[in-house]
Amino acid sequence: MNPSSIITEIVSVQLPDGGFPYHPGEHSRVDATSWAVIALSLMEGSPDACHRGKTFLVNQQHEDGRISIAVDHPQASWPTALAILAWGADPLFKQSRELAVRFLLNFSGKHWAKLENSIMGHDPSIIGWPWIADTHSWVIPTAMAIMALQRSGIENHPRIFQGVNMLLDRQLSHGGWNSGNTLVFGKELYPLPECTGIALQALAGNTERQVIEPSLSYLLEQLPHLRTPISLGWALLGLSAWGEQPEQSEEMIDQSLQRQKRHGSYSLPSLALLMCAAKASYGKNWLSPSISIEASSFLHPQTKA
Amino acid sequence: MPPSTHHTQQILLSRRELLKATLIGGGLALSGFSLLHWLKGPLLTASTFIGKAKDYQGDLAHLIRMGMQELGITSANLTGKRILLKPNLVEPHRAAPHINTHPLVVRGAIEAFLGLGAASVVVAEGPGHRHDALLVLEESGLGDVLYDDRIPFHDLNMMEGIAVPNKGKQTKLATLTFPRIIQEVDWIVSIAKMKTHHWAGATLSMKNFFGMMPGIYYGWPKNVLHQEGIPQSILDINATLQPHFAIIDGITGMEGDGPIMGTPIEAGVIVMGRNLPAVDATCCRIMGIDPSRITYLKKADQWLGPIHELAIEQRGETWQSVHTPFALEPDIPAHQGIRL
Repeated sequence: MNPSSIITEIVSVQLPDGGFPYHPGEHSRVDATSWAVIALSLMEGSPDACHRGKTFLVNQQHEDGRISIAVDHPQASWPTALAILAWGADPLFKQSRELAVRFLLNFSGKHWAKLENSIMGHDPSIIGWPWIADTHSWVIPTAMAIMALQRSGIENHPRIFQGVNMLLDRQLSHGGWNSGNTLVFGKELYPLPECTGIALQALAGNTERQVIEPSLSYLLEQLPHLRTPISLGWALLGLSAWGEQPEQSEEMIDQSLQRQKRHGSYSLPSLALLMCAAKASYGKNWLSPSISIEASSFLHPQTKA
Repeated sequence: MPPSTHHTQQILLSRRELLKATLIGGGLALSGFSLLHWLKGPLLTASTFIGKAKDYQGDLAHLIRMGMQELGITSANLTGKRILLKPNLVEPHRAAPHINTHPLVVRGAIEAFLGLGAASVVVAEGPGHRHDALLVLEESGLGDVLYDDRIPFHDLNMMEGIAVPNKGKQTKLATLTFPRIIQEVDWIVSIAKMKTHHWAGATLSMKNFFGMMPGIYYGWPKNVLHQEGIPQSILDINATLQPHFAIIDGITGMEGDGPIMGTPIEAGVIVMGRNLPAVDATCCRIMGIDPSRITYLKKADQWLGPIHELAIEQRGETWQSVHTPFALEPDIPAHQGIRL
């Protein structure tokens, strides 16, 4: 992998409004812009492009702090966590970040008490974050929200404890996560590598290893089969967050990039994710909490040994 | 948006003729067909085609093309048209290929459409449970087919959308946001899998369009649609999208706890048609399910298309000759009381 050529590739598609498109030739999108800024910041390249990208995100922010995927879809506020990660610790964007953090802390999915004879395995009462307002909470948006809050220096907030608890409740008994269903009609559903990688990344430092060991095993078992950027990228990030850095990481990322000959050019978020994964394979996991958190003081009571 | 049509025929029978036929045949009233439907106005009818295929190694392109011919679809209908094929790739797993539309059925459809003069074919899917559409392609085996055939694939989950008024009005949603690619094609084709479904009873060509709705607006697994009600959302999507054709892969279907955790069943059929409720109703009969007990089909009847046996002209095999009752789970509410 040649990081500088990928940086050049990402910067080259930045649009005059400061945003980045999902694919070259398209309009600016908040998710693509967030990922571009995250990757560029990580590679310490193009501070001007980063600044313009962060400013684009500010311009898309709603008054209540949310960042939605499109202005006419305010309910689809899942990119808020991504934007927080993109603004990072940059003091110039403190106000927008704090507004977004406040939104996240006051925003949750639909939850209800678990019925005694529920056909679902998970506990729907544990509060997390949804993809879309007024729907149930799911694994990926909850994991992303936890990461965003912790990157913002939020430590012992009850919403983080709840989110961690929610993720642990949704972990499959044989290891791994899917979008957020464990058992339905008595059958355990299949785990998915991308969901597992994101959940493991979010749980790093928030629970003990033995709790997630089966999920690490699942991902390590899947890794030889993963060459698509989203699954490979999140698998490597999730593993590295727990100190697992497979020796062949760089080779796998190279193979993934080579497969653009087969799949066509990857989306910008996919390229950015692969760059984050490459960096993580050298021990720099950008998505881990920005400040040192004593894991033992952060553990939710239910996850402590 | 493609031109508005439900691909049904409206026939004006003399009410005396129909009543006479009803009394002679004896089946119409006994099988629950509502006389009120035709007393209110023209009767919607449609044709479906059933073709036998014992496995995926046969000439599926030939079978699909033969079905199209039986259904009156010729090069005159397809020359120069841009075709979007929407397979069902909800959640592929290497160990469970029966979850998804088989890649060789997709290849057969590609060859059939191109053979009849279509200008282009693209394959598009927004997997309900998966964020990684490329891994879905790889694990389903469809990636190899599309790469070999040089057919583009589009990840609908991540595609920007266009909001259009909800023509179905069964949910509270005032608009539905479809991926913008629907503006760039002439025919939208559902290539679905024949499966039981633990929420909807059966998932066929109409339910397959949940995968048309971008995850960036509807979430994973299409949370907004589940929130609004699965049958209602199926109806709204189909009433608004107005798809043009359906091909159901029933060579190997899924019975039991579908759409993911069920077991494979060899039904040995491909079912096709221009009217999706009629196709799905025919599939239900093959599966041993009463379509009038599937909520969304019952509601679709004589609105989006016919589901009654007597309103569906059968081409190719009869459903009785390929009848393969799919196992239903007695503990699943959506499976209770739907047996034909």
